[in-house]
Parts: sequence; C-alpha cells; structure tokens
Amino acid sequence: MVSHLPKPATLRDWLLYLATIAGCIMLVLRGAERLGYSWHWRQIPRYLGSLSDGVFVAGPLLKGLVVTLEITGYSLVLAASIGLVTALLRLSSSSIGRVLARMYLEIIRNTPLLVQIFFLYFVMAPILDIGRTATAVLALSLFEGAYASEIFRAGITSIDRGQWEACYSLGLTQLQSYRKVILPQALRRVVPPMTSQAVSLIKDSALVSTIAVYDVTMEGRTIIAETFFSFEIWFVVAAIYLVLTLTLSTLASFLERHLFRTHA
Amino acid sequence: MRQQQSMTSSGVSIIHAAHLMKTFGALLALDDCSITVERGEVLVVIGPSGSGKSTLLRCLNGLEEIDSGRIVIDGIELNHRESNRLRIRREVGMVFQSFNLFPHLTVLENVNLAQKLVRGRSTGEATKQARLLLDKVGVGEKLDQYPQQLSGGQQQRVAIARALAMQPKVMLFDEATSALDPEMIGEVLDVMRSLAREGMTMVVVTHEMGFAREVGDRIVFMESGRIIEQAASTEFFENPASERTRQFLRQIL
Ligand SMILES: Nc1ncnc2c1ncn2[C@@H]1O[C@H](COP(=O)(O)OP(=O)(O)OP(=O)(O)O)[C@@H](O)[C@H]1O
Ligand SMILES: [Mg+2]
Repeated sequence: MVSHLPKPATLRDWLLYLATIAGCIMLVLRGAERLGYSWHWRQIPRYLGSLSDGVFVAGPLLKGLVVTLEITGYSLVLAASIGLVTALLRLSSSSIGRVLARMYLEIIRNTPLLVQIFFLYFVMAPILDIGRTATAVLALSLFEGAYASEIFRAGITSIDRGQWEACYSLGLTQLQSYRKVILPQALRRVVPPMTSQAVSLIKDSALVSTIAVYDVTMEGRTIIAETFFSFEIWFVVAAIYLVLTLTLSTLASFLERHLFRTHA
Repeated sequence: MRQQQSMTSSGVSIIHAAHLMKTFGALLALDDCSITVERGEVLVVIGPSGSGKSTLLRCLNGLEEIDSGRIVIDGIELNHRESNRLRIRREVGMVFQSFNLFPHLTVLENVNLAQKLVRGRSTGEATKQARLLLDKVGVGEKLDQYPQQLSGGQQQRVAIARALAMQPKVMLFDEATSALDPEMIGEVLDVMRSLAREGMTMVVVTHEMGFAREVGDRIVFMESGRIIEQAASTEFFENPASERTRQFLRQIL
C-alpha cells in the first residue's frame, strides 16, 4: 500500500543522517586542508557583534541582516498587494484589466530576476529618482508579486461557486462578496503556498547585493574582500538565511494551526 | 389565462417572466418559458432531471442571464442595469440544494451579514431579526456554532433564515431537501409549509410530490427546457391535460 504519511524516523535514519553530516564536514575540512586554507573561526564572531565596555555593538553581518529583513519585509507586503490586485484583475470582467495583468505576468515570469533588478536600477531608478533600497524593494515586489498573484488566483477560484451564488442571491455586490465571503476563505487556503513564496523572497533578496545594497550577502562579500575569510563567512551567511527561512516556516505552520483554525 | 396578462400591469402578479430563452452552448436549456406568480402564491416546478427547472429559477434572480425574453419582479425589470439586478436580488431570497452557508462565519454572522451590508442594519437590529427567525426555524440554540457543526437539516434551516432575514417578497427554493438524509427532509418541509401558510410568495423546485400537491397552489411541469403544462394543483394532479404529464406522474407517484 502506498502511504503518504511520513514514517517516524528510526534509529537507522538518525545514524544515516549523522553519518551524512559528518561526511560533508570531513569533505570540507579535507578540501580546505588540501587548498592550504587556514581557518579563522575565532575572528568571525566580531563580524556578528561585539561587546565594548559591556555594550553590545552590532557587527556588519547583523547590520546586513537588519537590511535583509527590512527589504524582505517591505517586499512581502508589497508583493502580496500586487499579487492580490493582479489576481483580481485577471478574474475581473474587464478585458483591459485582464490584458494588463497578463502582460505583467508574462514579462516578469519570462525574464531573469537579475535582469529585472538591473533594468530597474540602471533605467527606472534614475528616471523615477529612487534610491537603491527602494529599487531593491520594487524589483523584489514586482517579481514575487507575479508568483503571489498565481497563488491568490488559485485560492480564489478554489472557493465553491455556491458561495458566490449565496452572496449574489442575498443582494451583495461583487466587491462585498469578495471582501466578506470569498477572500476571507481564500486567504486561509493560500497561507501554505504563500509561505514558500516568502521563503523564496528571502533567498532571492540576496541578489540585491548586485546593486550595492548592504544586505547580509553584500556585507559578507565586503568582509571577504578585506579578510579572505571566505569559507567561514559563507558558512555564516548561509546559516543566517537558513535560520530566517526555517523560522518563517515554523511561524507559518503555527499560524495555520492556531490562528486560522479553518472551518471549511 | 394568466399568461396573457399584460406585462406592465401593476396588478397582483409579482413575477412576470415571458418568453425566456436560455442556451448553454448548443443546449437549449429554456425554450420560450413564460410564468406569472401572484402575490402569496406558491408555484411548484416539477419535471425530470435536466429539464431546466433550476435554470428557470436561477434566471429569475439573475444568477443566470437569459438570452432573450423579459423578467419583471415587483415592477422592476431585470435587465443589464446592475442597480436593477441588485434591487431584485434584495427582494428575492433563494435557498439552494447545497445550503451554501458561509463556512467561515457563525450561524448568527451568516444571518447578519447581508442584513448589515445590504439593508444597512446595525448589528443590534440584525441580531434581533436573526434570533427571531432562527427561533422560528428551530435553530435558535445554535447562534455561535459554525455551519459544519450542524446537521444538514439544521444547515438548510439556517439558510432559510438567512434568506428570510432580508425580508424578501419572494422566496425561491431549488430542491431544498434533495441533499438531506431522509429523516431531515420533514423538518425543512415543515418550515417551508409554515412559510407558505403565512402567505409568502414562493417558487419551489422539488421532487417531493406530496409536498407539491399539499402546498402548491399551481404546478408547472417542465421537460427539455419547455413548459409542458401549468395548472392549479388539484387539477394538475387529478386531471392532467397532457399525456406526457400523465406519464411523468405515473412514474414518480
Ligand atoms: N452552467 C451550465 N453550463 C452548461 N450547461 C448547463 C449549465 N447549467 C445547466 N446546464 C444544462 O442545462 C440543462 C438544464 O439544467 P437544469 O439544472 O436547469 O435542470 P434541472 O431541471 O434543474 O435538473 P435537476 O433535476 O437534475 O436539478 C441540463 O442539461 C444541464 O446540463
Ligand atoms: Mg436542478
């Protein structure tokens, strides 16, 4: 029988898991040794933060983390808004609205994010007179918004037609139906896919370091350029992203279980 | 004959539907259907599956758009004007086979939503009305429950209360008991029966012939999108005019 339920991990699974991790570490250590790389782990903590006279001073990596959080936070809100509006346009009866939404989606999904970032930075930013951080937020929002819109659209169309008919038969307008009946139900359904989209957003945000926005990745690159601690720093930067994304996923599944106890 | 009544007369007729045509692609779902319903009258629509009963009902409140023909309800013409459509829907309640309660709202919120949004009532006023109606249909104890926590029969009675809370002039029932377990059919029919007794104007699609005969003032028999026969209830069941009707009644009774 095919079971979709994950089986509980056995002792054998755990041993295998530990062996794999140990193997990876060995591989890296061996490789580093062969390259003659000398580790400087003791130097690393101060790039995160240090105590001076008993006061905590954030290091460049922590400052970068704050920038990353800021950029992804704003982008997430903006991307969700763009996504929702685009989804509503695509589902609207206005043919102009539908065409506009389609054009936006096709352009965003069929060009590389890096090119979009450069386009906004080198072409649009000077025209609109906006700064680097704003450009970064705009680029990420437009990009993730296209994917968010697909998620919203799927969520909205998954709501039973009978819900619309009940609304209409009670005299609600389309807008009222969306606001009070359709969206509240659809939004609950999109929490899981939107979480993975938010995780993508965090990861994709590393690309803004290419336009010299000092996020975690950019700070890492700068430190490495000065110190050549590339192995240690990339380990730490990767770990920071991992902590961010795992925290987000955990938070979202908690939300789903406790706040949105669905009745559908 | 009733069908010959002038469409514009402001007489006692509350629903005038004349020469309705409706196609779904190549399928002719309504073929020149005309009905009139008087105030306080219960019109029962029967016919085999796929004959267009639901379509007829759904055209009356604009859930389906007719290809041609004319629908006037309480003096308001159902046409392309959005405002007319909304006005008609405010006056016409509908009960569905699948209840269509809002699963994210409690029973009370289900009944209050449109009262507040469409009728502009305060939460207090709406709740007062909701309690009254939920008591009346026998689910007054369930105000704070969610639809899933209720039985099918209870859900359908909440749906009826939700429609009634808008104080509609007409109620449409599309096979309101077809999705229910047999032991729950009675409780919903009881509610419909008492509504009819209070003088509510109703158009009822049903397969419950006993109910049709007892509560219906007039019966419309449909087949393949056409109205084959319409007549007063007793006449329809005791002395059907068309051979096709007699055949149908023999099968179903
Ligand atoms: N939205 C739709 N799209 C395409 N065809 C439809 C649609 N709605 C109804 N039909 C078709 O129109 C015809 C009439 O359907 P309708 O639902 O009005 O029949 P009915 O008399 O209510 O049948 P039942 O007793 O099974 O409910 C059927 O052949 C049906 O398949
Ligand atoms: Mg039907």
